[in-house]
Amino acid sequence: MKARGRMNGIRVAALALALTALVGASGTAIAQQRGGTLVMPMAQAPRHLNSAVQSGIATMGPAAQLFASPLRYDDKWNPQPYLAQKWELAPDGKSLTLHLVKNAVFHDGKPVTSEDVAFSIMTIKANHPFSSMLAPVEKVETPDPYTAIIRMSKPHPAILIAMSPALCPIIPKHIYGDGKDIKTHPNNSANVIGSGPFKLVEFKPGQHIVMERFDRFFIPGRPYLDKIIMKVNPDDTAIVVGAERGEFNLWTFAASARNIERLRKAGWIATDKGYEGIGPLTWVAFNLKRKPMSDIKVRQAISYAMDRDFITKSLHGGLSKPAFGPIVSSSPFYDASINPYRVDLKKAEALLDAAGYKKAANGERFAVTIDYIPGSDEQSKNVAEYLKGQLRKIGIKLEVRASPDFPSWAKRVASFDFDMTTDVVFNWGDPVIGVHRTYLASNIRNIIWTNTQSYDNPKVDELLNNAAEQLDPVKRRAYYAVFQKIVNEELPVAWVNVVPYYTVYDKRWRNLPLSIWGSMSPLDDLWWAGK
Amino acid sequence: MRLLIPLAIRLAYAAILVVAVIVLNFLLIRLAPGDPVETIAGAMGGMTEELRAELVRAYGLDLSLPQQLLRYLARMLSGDLGYSYFFNLPVSGLILERVPQTVLLVVVAVAVSLLAGTALGVLASRRPNGWFSQSLTVLSVVGYAAPVFWTGIMLIIVFAAWLPLFPVSGMDDIANAGNGWFAYALDVAHHLVLPVATLSIIYVAQYSNLARASMLDVLGADYIRTARAKGLSEGSVYFKHALKNAILPVVTVAGLQFGNLLAGAILVETVFNWPGLGRLAFESILRRDHPTILGILFCSACMVIAANLLTDLVYRAIDPRIRTGSR
Amino acid sequence: MADPVQMQSAASPAREAWQMFIRSSVSIAGLSMLGLILLMSLFGPMLYDIDPFATSGAPLSPPFTPDLPLGTDQIGRDILAGIVNGGRTTLAVGAAAALLSLGIGITLGALAGYYGGLVDDVLMRVTEFFQVLPALLFAMVLVTLFTPTLATITIAIGVVSWTGVARLTRGEFLKLRHMEFVTAERAIGADNARIIWRVILPNALPPLIVSAAFAVGAAILFEAGLSYLGLGDPNTMSWGLMIGSSRNYILDAWWPVTFPGVMIFLTVLSVALISDGLNQALNPKLRER
Repeated sequence: MKARGRMNGIRVAALALALTALVGASGTAIAQQRGGTLVMPMAQAPRHLNSAVQSGIATMGPAAQLFASPLRYDDKWNPQPYLAQKWELAPDGKSLTLHLVKNAVFHDGKPVTSEDVAFSIMTIKANHPFSSMLAPVEKVETPDPYTAIIRMSKPHPAILIAMSPALCPIIPKHIYGDGKDIKTHPNNSANVIGSGPFKLVEFKPGQHIVMERFDRFFIPGRPYLDKIIMKVNPDDTAIVVGAERGEFNLWTFAASARNIERLRKAGWIATDKGYEGIGPLTWVAFNLKRKPMSDIKVRQAISYAMDRDFITKSLHGGLSKPAFGPIVSSSPFYDASINPYRVDLKKAEALLDAAGYKKAANGERFAVTIDYIPGSDEQSKNVAEYLKGQLRKIGIKLEVRASPDFPSWAKRVASFDFDMTTDVVFNWGDPVIGVHRTYLASNIRNIIWTNTQSYDNPKVDELLNNAAEQLDPVKRRAYYAVFQKIVNEELPVAWVNVVPYYTVYDKRWRNLPLSIWGSMSPLDDLWWAGK
Repeated sequence: MRLLIPLAIRLAYAAILVVAVIVLNFLLIRLAPGDPVETIAGAMGGMTEELRAELVRAYGLDLSLPQQLLRYLARMLSGDLGYSYFFNLPVSGLILERVPQTVLLVVVAVAVSLLAGTALGVLASRRPNGWFSQSLTVLSVVGYAAPVFWTGIMLIIVFAAWLPLFPVSGMDDIANAGNGWFAYALDVAHHLVLPVATLSIIYVAQYSNLARASMLDVLGADYIRTARAKGLSEGSVYFKHALKNAILPVVTVAGLQFGNLLAGAILVETVFNWPGLGRLAFESILRRDHPTILGILFCSACMVIAANLLTDLVYRAIDPRIRTGSR
Repeated sequence: MADPVQMQSAASPAREAWQMFIRSSVSIAGLSMLGLILLMSLFGPMLYDIDPFATSGAPLSPPFTPDLPLGTDQIGRDILAGIVNGGRTTLAVGAAAALLSLGIGITLGALAGYYGGLVDDVLMRVTEFFQVLPALLFAMVLVTLFTPTLATITIAIGVVSWTGVARLTRGEFLKLRHMEFVTAERAIGADNARIIWRVILPNALPPLIVSAAFAVGAAILFEAGLSYLGLGDPNTMSWGLMIGSSRNYILDAWWPVTFPGVMIFLTVLSVALISDGLNQALNPKLRER
């Protein structure tokens, strides 16, 4: 019969296909295996798991597994489909249309619709600390259950990056839209329901997070992993020992050269890819409201006194890269032609003389203090201590003021009670999100990680605001190039280095998360080639 | 009935003490520079001014001090220890989650110290001037003089770098959690070895000294000579008659040192990343998580009082003189 | 007929105790160790004139080289310089905090034991309150409250450590206040203050002295613990601080944490040996063994 004949043909084809697949699988180890458990340490304890109302890598890592987002990114800064299978940015840049997949469901089985997307985006806008990320968003229209149109008051090219897994978790309206204050919502810590590849099994605050595969994840066949366990462990030594003994098999945000080397010797692999999106910078911030920091020659002198090569080679074991501009070198907006401030003590002294700060009889010109952000000795405390010795060579007496803990330091900086301070600040992908906040005069506030330097340059404000609205990437880059030149000259902060974050992993892992967002992306295609 | 009234009075009195502790600390904590809002800003990666104002209001940080205190006490009476600023979860839940781990650590350490200390001390008392007894004296001073956190770090260096026999951090290897409770218990026991060793070194030394001195005291007493004269075996003399009385001072000292044990537990938990109350206390102080700090202070005070009462009861149970009512 | 020289020395129990103390090998060991540490802390920084906070060499250089006798830590700071400068903090805070706790404890204990009655009741309640307070926790809260400086740490330690001394003093005063020589003093019209401080206290001293020695050791350990946790004065070098700040590098370098720890150990050990010597000299019961 005709039908059977056709069936036969199909069957043969199917058999052939299966055989090919089998051969392919057994021939090389490129066929993904299901199973395995990822166990990784977390240096900080997350407050809760809802990244719609909170930033910070402690929350974003787990949240990116629990919640899906409209877009995801590859390692070349290109957006890729995720919950949105297609999208269009209008020519005038004032609206982004997202076409959602139709088969996505939340962990409780309810479908993901444009209502949830609209709810999530407006919630993030209202609650997330990165106020510039969605500032121009006015509303999100939902003409049908699988289409969401984000309407903005002006062109906002950053809107695409703002759709990343780390920054735009799609949260279920039927759970979070119950009228309770979402910042303290009980579902932030228990029964955390998203539509991501993994669902929450257990969250013990301050101790660990356990997640397991979500069987109805909307990408068929994924995720490959059975379980993900994240353990809070602030102790580098314990992490290294644990890793050597097989208690961990992946370590993200590793920044210590010695520990990385040790694990390399034990057969692990280390890569610095995956942190381009974060764009972490260590810098020394100046309080421009105080003398002598208010004098640009003084700031330049200090920048010339910094031997960035020594810092990166000796203090950071050669892992970090010097930084001398507000935008990280891995960003498409980076301009390499800025002044690298090669260490030049003579020039520094000349600048100080020119500024009118002559050396007194004891060789001292003036005395200032430097604070440092607690938490990472290698990145901040060591830099401050190093500067103490270095600045003495050019006649500046530097007193290192230690804050016993984070709140003390934060209070000092937020109330502008400092001369200089080290800090570690992230670019967060698009400069609008993480860079503008440091240099805009309108962002001089009594809150950390704003323009606590009191830097005020109307030309810079104009450039940044123009760049925020400029859709043409060439023109945008031009604005940022001028911006970088100006601040590189005026030094509201003196950049020191890019924080050398590495991912260190057991060599049995395949498909490591190496997009620009690294482990703050869904780990749905990560798989374990071991037993 | 005779026992109950004094017990009830003591409990009531203990309750007053605890409340006094809470009031004092509440007042002090509110005066701390650097408030919880800064910590939250740090943990959130930034903050907006609206959020800041909201948090200040939500945590009552804008109320007057007496108002805040009254509010806190009122809630505490109904069992509500408040919500952690940092985690937004009930403090009582956070504490209850951690208490078993600390109790496990402390109880095992106390048991090991008492058993090992008494045993060593009794052994040493057989030959008070022999080499064993002398070295015990030396060791007791050594155990006391080394800072507990340093001992822990030294142990970590030995067992992490040179002899990978024991885990150096944490309470369990959670990836193994699904292998049945027996395997899990073994895993925890494996992780317990180093922290308990660190914590008990100090006390084994002290208790052995005390036990030896106490045994020597007792062995010279009249009733022991009588027992020997009556022809009882050495073993019987030692264990039935002498030991019971010799233990008394050890137990008393152990009970009184519960406060020190808690302090040691804080340091040991920090060194070994043990998920107990001590580590939570330290982290909460750094985070200015006031409700959690107060909750832990409250629990510690209760634990110390409970330990004192327990010591008293054990003392009464063991001391034959008190038991027979003769004073 | 008794030897007149013997009779003379037997007449002064204090002198006898002193002789015994000075001759005991335990005390000699303790005193000499402490003496050496004291000398090192006083004169060391002048003789070994290196800034303990400055970068003196490559980070984590190993010890036992002529340039860097004890090696360097993770920033390249000279560990020997840290040891030599850290002694001052340890000894100063240890002594001052012990003095403070003794001052509070003896005063309150004396008043409670001497007056009895309501005064005793009230003071004992206060003592119990401070006893129930978890000492380390409370000290940590106090120190973070008032910004860690040497002064605040000393006060914090002193404030939580006095209850044992208070009880001891009270016990002694309870025993002694009914003795004949006290009644005699009162009969000749001495006022209460004189009786407490000039009459009873000197007789109550022996156990208090031993307790004082222990208090110093305890205060040293307490300061080390606070510094280790990062709650010490960050601008003053201290042995606990050294251990705490190099904690994360122990897999690569054992020396930044070992040497400061050994110093703390030796200091407390010397104090403990001295206490032991004092105890043997002053405690008549022990002497009979």
